[in-house]
Amino acid sequence: MKRSYLPVALLLAVLMLNIIFTQYMVHQYFYENYTNTIIAAVINVILFPVALLIYKKGVNVHD
Amino acid sequence: MSDKNNKIPFNEDNYTHNINRNNERKLDRRGFMKTLVGAAGVFAVSSLPWGVLAAKELTGLGDKKYPKQKITDVSALPIGDAVDFSFPGEHDSAILIRLSENKYVAYQNACTHLRCPVFWKKDEGEMICPCHHGKFDVNSGEPTAGPPRRPLPEIHVKVENGAVYAVGVKRYEA
Repeated sequence: MKRSYLPVALLLAVLMLNIIFTQYMVHQYFYENYTNTIIAAVINVILFPVALLIYKKGVNVHD
Repeated sequence: MSDKNNKIPFNEDNYTHNINRNNERKLDRRGFMKTLVGAAGVFAVSSLPWGVLAAKELTGLGDKKYPKQKITDVSALPIGDAVDFSFPGEHDSAILIRLSENKYVAYQNACTHLRCPVFWKKDEGEMICPCHHGKFDVNSGEPTAGPPRRPLPEIHVKVENGAVYAVGVKRYEA
């Protein structure tokens, strides 16, 4: 029953990407690059199901 | 110690003997991962309004609409000359400058310093506010010298049937 900390690391990476894209999104909005804003927002939204997937896989296999 | 456990009920006057709270607030791996997923959800939800606002800007729903207004005939405005007009309101004075055969620029000509009228200096190729010698770049409306720090609000123009029309105002950035 060895725990895997790989999902934890992956989730932390996802959260880091969230932070990066959020800041990018806000900055691009104020620079009036609205297409980039939408791209960053979509990536941010997609990262949530990705995080959920990582969580489910990580919980069921090794815990 | 040992004989207590064999008596039913326990010979004790506290009733919390079987409640073990020692690990209740421990953040284990699973709980930590749940927190991370929740944080990702918060990020996802909080980026929705930005996407909506950006989409609104892209589709032009946020722009104010003004009826298009004829400024002058093309034949009445030689290359390098300027003409004053008002747009969108009757007191919003503006200036139209013909830079080349097909390039027209228009700005609201109240100086962004103290609202003196800005003039087009043909021989110097720049826009000058005579009050405090503020200068503006004619291609972008950006201030290049003097006290003004903000660009002149640009007016979108369109050439149709030999006449120049003002069709809209670029949003003013304070």
